[in-house]
Amino acid sequence: MAPHLSNEEFFTSLTTLLSTTSQKTRGSVYLTQKPLLNTTSTNGDDPSPVSQPSILIRATDGNTNAPNPKNPKNKIERSKTKASKVKISTVVAPEELEGFYGRYAEVCKAGMTGLKKRDRKRGKAKGKGGSGKGAKA
Amino acid sequence: MPYLPTPQAYLEQSALLLQAYPDSRITTKYSFLSQRPTALKKAQARQSQRRQQQQQQSQDTATTPSQSTPAPQTPVATLTLKTYNPAAGICLQYRTNKAAEVGRLITSLGKLAGGADVAALGLGAAPATAAAAGTAGDVEMTDAPVAAEEGSAAAQAAGQAQGKPDAGAKGGKSKKKGKGKR
Repeated sequence: MAPHLSNEEFFTSLTTLLSTTSQKTRGSVYLTQKPLLNTTSTNGDDPSPVSQPSILIRATDGNTNAPNPKNPKNKIERSKTKASKVKISTVVAPEELEGFYGRYAEVCKAGMTGLKKRDRKRGKAKGKGGSGKGAKA
Repeated sequence: MPYLPTPQAYLEQSALLLQAYPDSRITTKYSFLSQRPTALKKAQARQSQRRQQQQQQSQDTATTPSQSTPAPQTPVATLTLKTYNPAAGICLQYRTNKAAEVGRLITSLGKLAGGADVAALGLGAAPATAAAAGTAGDVEMTDAPVAAEEGSAAAQAAGQAQGKPDAGAKGGKSKKKGKGKR
Protein backbone atom coordinates (compact mmCIF):
# COMPACT_ATOMS: atom_id res chain seq x y z
CA MET A 1 0.00 0.00 0.00
CA ALA A 2 1.19 3.43 -0.84
CA PRO A 3 2.47 5.45 2.10
CA HIS A 4 0.44 8.31 3.50
CA LEU A 5 0.84 11.62 1.78
CA SER A 6 1.56 14.84 3.56
CA ASN A 7 -1.46 17.06 4.01
CA GLU A 8 -0.34 19.39 1.22
CA GLU A 9 0.19 16.58 -1.27
CA PHE A 10 -3.14 15.11 -0.29
CA PHE A 11 -4.93 18.34 -1.08
CA THR A 12 -3.35 18.69 -4.49
CA SER A 13 -4.16 15.08 -5.36
CA LEU A 14 -7.69 15.45 -4.07
CA THR A 15 -8.19 18.60 -6.11
CA THR A 16 -7.22 16.86 -9.31
CA LEU A 17 -9.28 13.80 -8.40
CA LEU A 18 -12.40 15.86 -7.77
CA SER A 19 -11.96 18.05 -10.81
CA THR A 20 -11.42 15.14 -13.18
CA THR A 21 -14.51 13.42 -11.83
CA SER A 22 -16.55 16.59 -12.13
CA GLN A 23 -15.35 17.19 -15.66
CA LYS A 24 -16.20 13.70 -16.74
CA THR A 25 -19.54 13.89 -14.90
CA ARG A 26 -19.13 10.24 -14.29
CA GLY A 27 -17.86 8.09 -11.46
CA SER A 28 -17.53 8.70 -7.76
CA VAL A 29 -15.10 9.93 -5.19
CA TYR A 30 -15.09 8.30 -1.79
CA LEU A 31 -13.70 10.22 1.15
CA THR A 32 -13.31 8.35 4.40
CA GLN A 33 -12.24 9.54 7.79
CA LYS A 34 -11.62 7.47 10.84
CA PRO A 35 -9.64 7.85 14.00
CA LEU A 36 -6.37 5.99 14.34
CA LEU A 37 -7.06 4.33 17.65
CA ASN A 38 -4.44 1.59 17.60
CA THR A 39 -1.43 3.82 17.52
CA THR A 40 0.36 1.75 20.14
CA SER A 41 2.39 0.00 17.49
CA THR A 42 3.66 3.22 15.94
CA ASN A 43 4.48 5.43 18.88
CA GLY A 44 5.13 2.88 21.58
CA ASP A 45 3.85 3.88 24.96
CA ASP A 46 1.57 6.81 24.47
CA PRO A 47 1.58 8.80 27.71
CA SER A 48 -2.00 9.95 27.27
CA PRO A 49 -4.24 7.38 25.66
CA VAL A 50 -7.27 9.49 26.50
CA SER A 51 -6.08 12.31 24.27
CA GLN A 52 -7.55 12.81 20.82
CA PRO A 53 -6.40 10.28 18.25
CA SER A 54 -5.05 11.26 14.88
CA ILE A 55 -7.48 11.10 12.02
CA LEU A 56 -6.81 9.03 8.96
CA ILE A 57 -8.29 10.46 5.79
CA ARG A 58 -8.59 8.42 2.66
CA ALA A 59 -9.77 9.35 -0.77
CA THR A 60 -10.36 7.04 -3.68
CA ASP A 61 -12.29 6.95 -6.90
CA GLY A 62 -13.08 3.29 -6.39
CA ASN A 63 -11.91 2.68 -9.94
CA THR A 64 -15.15 4.27 -11.11
CA ASN A 65 -13.28 6.41 -13.61
CA ALA A 66 -12.24 3.36 -15.52
CA PRO A 67 -14.07 2.74 -18.77
CA ASN A 68 -17.12 0.56 -18.66
CA PRO A 69 -15.90 -3.05 -18.62
CA LYS A 70 -19.09 -4.19 -20.31
CA ASN A 71 -18.08 -2.34 -23.40
CA PRO A 72 -16.23 -4.94 -25.50
CA LYS A 73 -13.79 -2.31 -26.74
CA ASN A 74 -12.43 -1.86 -23.26
CA LYS A 75 -12.26 -5.49 -22.36
CA ILE A 76 -8.74 -5.99 -23.59
CA GLU A 77 -7.20 -3.26 -21.50
CA ARG A 78 -9.08 -4.19 -18.40
CA SER A 79 -5.98 -5.18 -16.51
CA LYS A 80 -4.44 -1.88 -17.43
CA THR A 81 -7.33 0.16 -16.13
CA LYS A 82 -7.27 -1.53 -12.80
CA ALA A 83 -3.97 0.12 -12.07
CA SER A 84 -5.56 3.51 -12.73
CA LYS A 85 -7.51 3.40 -9.50
CA VAL A 86 -6.66 6.43 -7.43
CA LYS A 87 -6.01 5.85 -3.76
CA ILE A 88 -4.62 8.53 -1.54
CA SER A 89 -4.49 8.91 2.19
CA THR A 90 -3.13 11.19 4.83
CA VAL A 91 -2.96 11.38 8.60
CA VAL A 92 -4.00 14.51 10.43
CA ALA A 93 -2.70 15.20 13.89
CA PRO A 94 -5.38 16.26 16.38
CA GLU A 95 -3.89 19.72 16.81
CA GLU A 96 -3.99 20.32 13.05
CA LEU A 97 -7.58 19.20 12.65
CA GLU A 98 -9.14 22.63 12.50
CA GLY A 99 -6.79 24.05 9.91
CA PHE A 100 -6.92 20.90 7.88
CA TYR A 101 -10.68 20.77 7.75
CA GLY A 102 -10.85 24.42 6.83
CA ARG A 103 -8.80 23.70 3.74
CA TYR A 104 -10.50 20.36 3.20
CA ALA A 105 -13.87 22.10 3.04
CA GLU A 106 -12.48 24.64 0.59
CA VAL A 107 -11.07 21.93 -1.66
CA CYS A 108 -14.33 19.98 -1.58
CA LYS A 109 -16.40 23.07 -2.25
CA ALA A 110 -14.22 23.99 -5.20
CA GLY A 111 -14.03 20.47 -6.55
CA MET A 112 -17.62 19.30 -6.23
CA THR A 113 -18.94 21.39 -9.04
CA GLY A 114 -21.41 18.76 -10.14
CA LEU A 115 -23.76 19.54 -7.29
CA LYS A 116 -26.71 21.85 -7.61
CA LYS A 117 -25.78 25.48 -7.36
CA ARG A 118 -27.70 27.67 -5.03
CA ASP A 119 -30.24 29.56 -7.10
CA ARG A 120 -32.74 30.83 -4.67
CA LYS A 121 -33.98 33.42 -7.11
CA ARG A 122 -35.07 30.96 -9.73
CA GLY A 123 -36.78 28.74 -7.21
CA LYS A 124 -38.70 31.66 -5.83
CA ALA A 125 -39.62 32.93 -9.26
CA LYS A 126 -40.87 29.50 -10.19
CA GLY A 127 -42.98 29.28 -7.07
CA LYS A 128 -44.34 32.75 -7.55
CA GLY A 129 -44.76 32.32 -11.26
CA GLY A 130 -47.09 29.40 -10.76
CA SER A 131 -49.36 31.20 -8.36
CA GLY A 132 -48.92 34.59 -10.04
CA LYS A 133 -50.00 33.26 -13.38
CA GLY A 134 -53.12 31.88 -11.86
CA ALA A 135 -53.88 35.22 -10.22
CA LYS A 136 -53.30 37.16 -13.43
CA ALA A 137 -55.32 34.89 -15.61
CA MET B 1 -29.59 2.15 7.36
CA PRO B 2 -31.78 5.17 7.57
CA TYR B 3 -31.40 8.29 5.50
CA LEU B 4 -31.80 11.18 7.88
CA PRO B 5 -33.98 14.05 6.71
CA THR B 6 -31.80 17.00 7.67
CA PRO B 7 -28.06 17.60 7.94
CA GLN B 8 -28.60 18.66 11.53
CA ALA B 9 -30.20 15.36 12.41
CA TYR B 10 -27.44 13.48 10.65
CA LEU B 11 -24.68 15.35 12.45
CA GLU B 12 -26.39 15.00 15.79
CA GLN B 13 -26.87 11.28 15.43
CA SER B 14 -23.34 10.88 14.13
CA ALA B 15 -21.99 12.73 17.15
CA LEU B 16 -23.90 10.39 19.41
CA LEU B 17 -22.70 7.36 17.51
CA LEU B 18 -19.11 8.55 17.64
CA GLN B 19 -19.40 9.10 21.35
CA ALA B 20 -20.70 5.63 21.85
CA TYR B 21 -18.30 4.05 19.39
CA PRO B 22 -15.26 6.22 18.75
CA ASP B 23 -14.00 3.83 16.11
CA SER B 24 -16.81 4.59 13.71
CA ARG B 25 -15.88 5.78 10.28
CA ILE B 26 -17.42 8.50 8.18
CA THR B 27 -17.51 8.15 4.43
CA THR B 28 -18.37 10.99 2.12
CA LYS B 29 -19.27 9.89 -1.35
CA TYR B 30 -19.33 12.40 -4.16
CA SER B 31 -20.96 10.58 -6.98
CA PHE B 32 -22.50 11.08 -10.36
CA LEU B 33 -25.45 9.00 -11.37
CA SER B 34 -24.65 5.73 -12.93
CA GLN B 35 -25.28 5.69 -16.65
CA ARG B 36 -26.96 2.32 -16.64
CA PRO B 37 -30.60 2.61 -17.68
CA THR B 38 -31.82 0.60 -14.73
CA ALA B 39 -29.94 2.80 -12.33
CA LEU B 40 -31.37 5.91 -13.94
CA LYS B 41 -34.87 4.55 -13.61
CA LYS B 42 -34.33 3.76 -9.97
CA ALA B 43 -32.97 7.21 -9.27
CA GLN B 44 -35.97 8.84 -10.89
CA ALA B 45 -38.38 6.77 -8.88
CA ARG B 46 -36.53 7.68 -5.73
CA GLN B 47 -36.61 11.34 -6.62
CA SER B 48 -40.31 11.46 -7.25
CA GLN B 49 -40.95 9.56 -4.07
CA ARG B 50 -38.82 11.97 -2.12
CA ARG B 51 -40.58 14.93 -3.66
CA GLN B 52 -43.91 13.52 -2.63
CA GLN B 53 -42.69 13.11 0.91
CA GLN B 54 -41.40 16.63 0.99
CA GLN B 55 -44.64 17.99 -0.28
CA GLN B 56 -46.51 16.13 2.38
CA GLN B 57 -44.23 17.45 5.06
CA SER B 58 -44.17 21.07 3.99
CA GLN B 59 -47.37 21.96 2.29
CA ASP B 60 -47.36 25.51 3.62
CA THR B 61 -44.16 26.40 1.81
CA ALA B 62 -46.03 26.30 -1.48
CA THR B 63 -44.09 23.72 -3.41
CA THR B 64 -45.01 23.85 -7.05
CA PRO B 65 -46.96 20.73 -7.92
CA SER B 66 -45.92 20.81 -11.58
CA GLN B 67 -42.24 20.57 -10.74
CA SER B 68 -41.47 17.63 -12.94
CA THR B 69 -37.85 17.45 -13.96
CA PRO B 70 -37.64 14.56 -16.38
CA ALA B 71 -34.01 13.44 -16.62
CA PRO B 72 -31.98 16.60 -16.06
CA GLN B 73 -29.82 17.52 -19.03
CA THR B 74 -26.69 18.06 -16.99
CA PRO B 75 -26.13 15.12 -14.69
CA VAL B 76 -26.33 16.28 -11.12
CA ALA B 77 -23.98 14.72 -8.66
CA THR B 78 -24.99 13.65 -5.22
CA LEU B 79 -23.14 13.81 -1.96
CA THR B 80 -23.82 10.98 0.43
CA LEU B 81 -22.51 11.06 3.96
CA LYS B 82 -22.39 7.86 5.85
CA THR B 83 -21.40 7.17 9.41
CA TYR B 84 -20.87 3.52 9.99
CA ASN B 85 -19.70 1.38 12.83
CA PRO B 86 -18.83 -2.13 11.73
CA ALA B 87 -18.98 -3.59 15.23
CA ALA B 88 -22.38 -2.23 16.10
CA GLY B 89 -23.70 -2.38 12.59
CA ILE B 90 -25.17 1.08 12.88
CA CYS B 91 -25.18 3.11 9.74
CA LEU B 92 -26.44 6.67 9.48
CA GLN B 93 -26.76 8.36 6.15
CA TYR B 94 -27.56 11.71 4.69
CA ARG B 95 -27.84 12.52 1.04
CA THR B 96 -27.86 15.89 -0.65
CA ASN B 97 -27.20 17.51 -3.98
CA LYS B 98 -26.88 21.09 -2.82
CA ALA B 99 -23.49 22.68 -3.34
CA ALA B 100 -24.26 25.19 -0.60
CA GLU B 101 -24.20 22.50 2.06
CA VAL B 102 -20.78 21.09 1.25
CA GLY B 103 -18.70 23.56 3.19
CA ARG B 104 -20.85 23.38 6.26
CA LEU B 105 -20.98 19.60 6.23
CA ILE B 106 -17.24 19.12 5.82
CA THR B 107 -16.46 21.58 8.57
CA SER B 108 -18.89 19.76 10.82
CA LEU B 109 -17.21 16.49 9.95
CA GLY B 110 -14.01 18.06 11.17
CA LYS B 111 -15.66 18.87 14.45
CA LEU B 112 -16.92 15.32 14.69
CA ALA B 113 -13.42 14.04 14.00
CA GLY B 114 -12.18 16.24 16.81
CA GLY B 115 -14.53 14.47 19.15
CA ALA B 116 -17.12 17.20 19.43
CA ASP B 117 -20.36 16.36 21.17
CA VAL B 118 -23.79 17.43 20.03
CA ALA B 119 -23.69 20.69 21.93
CA ALA B 120 -20.28 21.62 20.54
CA LEU B 121 -21.47 21.22 16.97
CA GLY B 122 -23.46 24.39 17.32
CA LEU B 123 -26.25 23.30 15.10
CA GLY B 124 -28.73 25.70 16.56
CA ALA B 125 -30.95 22.78 17.46
CA ALA B 126 -33.82 23.05 19.84
CA PRO B 127 -32.72 23.74 23.42
CA ALA B 128 -34.49 20.65 24.64
CA THR B 129 -32.39 18.51 22.33
CA ALA B 130 -29.19 20.20 23.41
CA ALA B 131 -30.08 19.74 27.06
CA ALA B 132 -30.79 16.09 26.56
CA ALA B 133 -27.53 15.70 24.71
CA GLY B 134 -25.74 17.28 27.63
CA THR B 135 -26.03 14.04 29.53
CA ALA B 136 -24.32 12.22 26.69
CA GLY B 137 -21.73 14.95 26.47
CA ASP B 138 -20.47 14.15 29.95
CA VAL B 139 -19.10 10.85 28.83
CA GLU B 140 -15.42 11.17 28.09
CA MET B 141 -14.44 9.83 24.72
CA THR B 142 -12.06 7.00 25.37
CA ASP B 143 -11.31 3.87 23.49
CA ALA B 144 -11.89 1.66 26.48
CA PRO B 145 -14.70 -0.82 25.88
CA VAL B 146 -16.31 -0.01 29.22
CA ALA B 147 -16.56 3.63 28.31
CA ALA B 148 -17.99 2.68 24.96
CA GLU B 149 -20.75 0.79 26.64
CA GLU B 150 -21.45 3.71 28.89
CA GLY B 151 -21.51 5.93 25.88
CA SER B 152 -24.06 3.84 24.07
CA ALA B 153 -26.20 3.75 27.16
CA ALA B 154 -25.96 7.50 27.38
CA ALA B 155 -26.82 7.82 23.72
CA GLN B 156 -29.89 5.73 24.26
CA ALA B 157 -30.78 7.73 27.32
CA ALA B 158 -30.45 10.87 25.31
CA GLY B 159 -32.72 9.41 22.70
CA GLN B 160 -35.32 8.60 25.30
CA ALA B 161 -34.96 11.93 27.02
CA GLN B 162 -35.96 13.72 23.87
CA GLY B 163 -39.65 13.38 24.31
CA LYS B 164 -40.53 15.10 21.11
CA PRO B 165 -37.59 15.46 18.77
CA ASP B 166 -37.75 18.51 16.60
CA ALA B 167 -35.23 17.93 13.86
CA GLY B 168 -36.07 14.29 13.48
CA ALA B 169 -33.56 13.54 16.20
CA LYS B 170 -33.99 10.13 17.66
CA GLY B 171 -31.80 7.76 19.55
CA GLY B 172 -29.40 6.15 17.15
CA LYS B 173 -30.63 2.70 18.02
CA SER B 174 -34.31 3.39 18.15
CA LYS B 175 -34.38 4.39 14.52
CA LYS B 176 -36.74 1.69 13.43
CA LYS B 177 -39.18 2.21 16.22
CA GLY B 178 -39.65 5.91 15.68
CA LYS B 179 -41.17 5.78 12.29
CA GLY B 180 -44.12 8.04 12.83
CA LYS B 181 -42.26 11.24 13.43
CA ARG B 182 -45.16 13.60 13.37
